Amino acid sequence: MVERISFYDQISKNKRNSILLFGIVGALLIALIYSIAKAFSGLDSFIILIFAIIITTIYSLISYYSSDSIALMSVGAVKANPTLYRQYYNSVEGLTLASGIPMPQLYIMNNPQINAFATGRDPKHAVICVTTGALEKLNKQELEGVLAHEMSHIANYDIRFVTLTAILVGMISIVAQIFLRSLWFRDNDSDNNKARMIFLIIGIVLAILAPIVTSLVQLAISRKREYVADATAVKFTRTPTGLINALTKIKSNSEMKVSGSVAPLFLAKPNKAAELFSTHPDINSRIEVLRKM
Amino acid sequence: MVIWWYVVGGVVIIAGIFLMYYNRFVSLINQIENSLAQIDVQLKRRADLIPNLMESVKGYMKHEKSIVTEVTNARKLLVGAKGLNNRVKANEKLEGALGRLFAIAENYPNLKANETFVQLQQELSATEDKVAYSRQYYNDGIMSYNMSRRTIPGKWFASMYGFGEQKYLEISAAERVAPKVKFD
Repeated sequence: MVERISFYDQISKNKRNSILLFGIVGALLIALIYSIAKAFSGLDSFIILIFAIIITTIYSLISYYSSDSIALMSVGAVKANPTLYRQYYNSVEGLTLASGIPMPQLYIMNNPQINAFATGRDPKHAVICVTTGALEKLNKQELEGVLAHEMSHIANYDIRFVTLTAILVGMISIVAQIFLRSLWFRDNDSDNNKARMIFLIIGIVLAILAPIVTSLVQLAISRKREYVADATAVKFTRTPTGLINALTKIKSNSEMKVSGSVAPLFLAKPNKAAELFSTHPDINSRIEVLRKM
Repeated sequence: MVIWWYVVGGVVIIAGIFLMYYNRFVSLINQIENSLAQIDVQLKRRADLIPNLMESVKGYMKHEKSIVTEVTNARKLLVGAKGLNNRVKANEKLEGALGRLFAIAENYPNLKANETFVQLQQELSATEDKVAYSRQYYNDGIMSYNMSRRTIPGKWFASMYGFGEQKYLEISAAERVAPKVKFD
């Protein structure tokens, strides 16, 4: 029962975190747009504001509804053939029965390293993708552990959270970029207004800082989620052995080349990054926690 | 005037709590029934796979009559069993017989190289896993159902709506342990 409580707790916590993140990003966005409007005079600022709102709305709607296909495309994943990859399908089908979530779509990406990711916007529109390396190098139990970890990301609504944060971070950087670039077209004679000057400086500082702050918040939440997904995976498979062995094998992975925006999705971090800027906790500490279960 | 708004608000909140608990019990019962149905689906699929397996084995295992009849009989038992508890028990017997069949199959290299046989073996072990997973989900469902039925305030609502205690499936100790295949 304790397990189960924490499982549902995690879902509501993820929803709370989403709201918190929205709050922080929303406040930053409003502050940024307000300073931009104050820094520019009259019509200029109005056009920029409208322009920024239209672009970010279109951008976020498109990304939200096609985030899975964008992620799959960017890593060159293809749909897994159900007859060729029987084991892969069988394991996920078993896990859908254990977790009570619908069958996700299964994809494969051609890469010799062991890795996997889940994406989508909710359990009904979810995708799991594993590398060919994972299918070749992991045995049945290890693969099941890895897939259970990915199913946990789906069941805990982590996939939606990651998608939303990626979109929000992108949105902030778009507005910041529009602002910084529009400075080139600014009238020089408006500079003599002091208040305008101050807002201009605030705007520049915000435009530079906001994307960094939001990414740091995103990363901190992302690292915590990995531990929870490991724990939920154990709840599904009823044994930590498969996941422990898979993580031990993953330790000898070399670097994968994937774009930064899809990096937080993966089972183990694909790029080398310092702890503060890392999307994933250290593998050794994850194994340590799993051993105690 | 204002006091009436407080009354209306209070009534709405209390009605909401009553509805919430009712829906909670109903959805938990749905989960339990759904996972029971899943166990049946998997058992049915298992029974459907066995004739094909016996067909692929026939040519190779001419001298292993006893195990072949054992599996066939176990399947008959499963197909004929009434009620889920009996079916689950019959399936356990079938699992044991299949384990022995696969252990004996290790002695027949030609059979082990037969693609149909290997596929069927994989499918059968997958259905075994799926049965185990469905039972696990079923038990999880029963656990949360009974837990919300026993704790306060769920206890009050359960007795008011008349939601009774749910029973676990009887599970043998060897639940998720696949038969070990050994040969020298």
